[in-house]
Amino acid sequence: MMKKMLTILAGIGLLATTGAAIAEGELNLFNWGNYTNPDLLKKFEEAHGVKVTVTDYDSNDTALAKIKAGGHGFDMVVPSANYIPIFISEGLLLETRPDQMENFNHVLDEFANPDWDPGRHYTVPWQWGSVGMIVDTSVYSGDINTAAIYLDPPEELVGKINVAPEMNDVLSSAIMYLGGEPCTTDKELLKKVRDKLLEAKPKWLSMDYGMIEKFAGRDVAASLYWNGAAFRAREKNTDVRYGYPQEGFALWMDSVGVLKDAKNVENAKLFQNFLMQPENAALISAFARYANGIKGSEVFMPDDMKGAEEIEIPSDLAGAGIFLPTCSPEATELYTAIWTELQK
Amino acid sequence: MCVRHNVPVIHVPTNPLSSHKPFVIRRIPGFATVAVICFAVLYIPLAPLVAYSFNAGTSITLWEGFSLRWYEAAWRNDLVQEAAIRSVVIAVTASVCATTVATMAALGTTRTRPYRGQLAIYAIINQPLMVPEIVTAVALLIVFAIVKTATDYHGLAYLIVAHTAFCVPFAYLPIRARLEGMDLTLETAAADLYATPWKIFHRVTLPLLLPGILAGAMLAFVISLDDVVITEFVKSVGQDTLPTYMLGQLRRVVTPEINAISTVLLGISVVLVTLVFLLSREKVQ
Repeated sequence: MMKKMLTILAGIGLLATTGAAIAEGELNLFNWGNYTNPDLLKKFEEAHGVKVTVTDYDSNDTALAKIKAGGHGFDMVVPSANYIPIFISEGLLLETRPDQMENFNHVLDEFANPDWDPGRHYTVPWQWGSVGMIVDTSVYSGDINTAAIYLDPPEELVGKINVAPEMNDVLSSAIMYLGGEPCTTDKELLKKVRDKLLEAKPKWLSMDYGMIEKFAGRDVAASLYWNGAAFRAREKNTDVRYGYPQEGFALWMDSVGVLKDAKNVENAKLFQNFLMQPENAALISAFARYANGIKGSEVFMPDDMKGAEEIEIPSDLAGAGIFLPTCSPEATELYTAIWTELQK
Repeated sequence: MCVRHNVPVIHVPTNPLSSHKPFVIRRIPGFATVAVICFAVLYIPLAPLVAYSFNAGTSITLWEGFSLRWYEAAWRNDLVQEAAIRSVVIAVTASVCATTVATMAALGTTRTRPYRGQLAIYAIINQPLMVPEIVTAVALLIVFAIVKTATDYHGLAYLIVAHTAFCVPFAYLPIRARLEGMDLTLETAAADLYATPWKIFHRVTLPLLLPGILAGAMLAFVISLDDVVITEFVKSVGQDTLPTYMLGQLRRVVTPEINAISTVLLGISVVLVTLVFLLSREKVQ
């Protein structure tokens, strides 16, 4: 009886184009591996009688290739910010207008109108994070909110520094350190960037992944790396701290969109709206350990994540964070040249 | 009495399991050194992987004592279980199909008079060994996408067909090696005694060929079980196999659970490849 009433109500809601619909059936989510909280899905399944199936991918490129080919059977995908413009311009995403959904008022202001999806006509926030400095403070106790940690390293850290082997993250960090904007094509500045990186490189130990283990084993004392890993490293080595370079640091965000050829559009829209509910967003973070972009979700976060310095950017440094745009081919070519030289 | 000897004239040197390998290479100076380096590079990295699967802690580089907890964790993990069952279903079906096709192909390329285009047929059968996997994967992605859109069928059959296709040469090679090692006298004798072709195959060729077929099937099974690239591109909704599941995990936090799953897969592969070796080595009476 209740269900029937809800269905009718939902129908009316649908007519109004924005409301939530109760749709029984299936939902097929295509997401990064090890990224989706099973409890989140269970909650959605129980609330709406929808069976959710998750299939993994390991890179934006794989996801894009499979979706572009068509016939995949997926309803939703979670691309990174710099891939969303590609998904939109290729006509792969459905304009579901999350900005008109009931829970949209929970989205934090800074994520409500991002460059990669103006006005949030397509996607809702999933998780976001930053690229900053992880430092073992038992080795170096000075200021860690600076990219000088790896570009002009203090004596104590020389030979104990790691740099994430990600071209865009490293180049944008070095460019901002020298006063430029990410995606710049200013050759004078880029020359300085190259010289700075080449000058710093002999003082590094490695350019590698897997920093949680390295900090736990005290093999590395500083690294340009991601905040989620910093959080996990601190769980294993309490001397570890995470710094946000005041010269500028990169931010990343993955967002959930509905595919144009989705079979279960109504369920997908329900899920988008569901994800913007603070207690549900907190479930996403509780599993994958990154922040989620939804106001009021902190209250529902696991205790160890509440107020964690890796999750909440200190207000005086928040302004230095920049979401990396999709660079022009010209810029990418210049960066690739520098990157190749750096890797030699 | 007219005895015809259909000795295969064409010798294809691409058969790693053949017992006819030339031995000259062993006399090349430095052979032993190079061999040792190769084995070291191939197998030493596996040692820590296996060792840390028994770690009591959550780290894959810091030893905190011996424990089987990660094997238990993997065993209890629903996602791992589902992926493992799916992997086995695909591998069994694909290896049975591939071995059937490969057996027919091997008979067709050895138990016949040499014919025009035989070399081309070898090339076609062994093509999946030569073409880079990513090329096959992208090609299958495009073709299957059209089929999926047209038929709206998203089942496991796509993966099974794809796996069968690339498993055929792996099954074919040991079967053909076996057939080449079997001389024709028994089959000819049976024919002289008025056995029908089917009877000859059923009572003479097949029993003699069985070790080769089993070896081929096991090799095909292992190859299917381990495949990542093609599976990643062909899989539909909810069709993660064990290797693609593991690939998804690697991006983020890695626990020794992955080591445990890898160790089990490694164990299965080693056992099957050893059996293949023993079966292929067995001399034809």
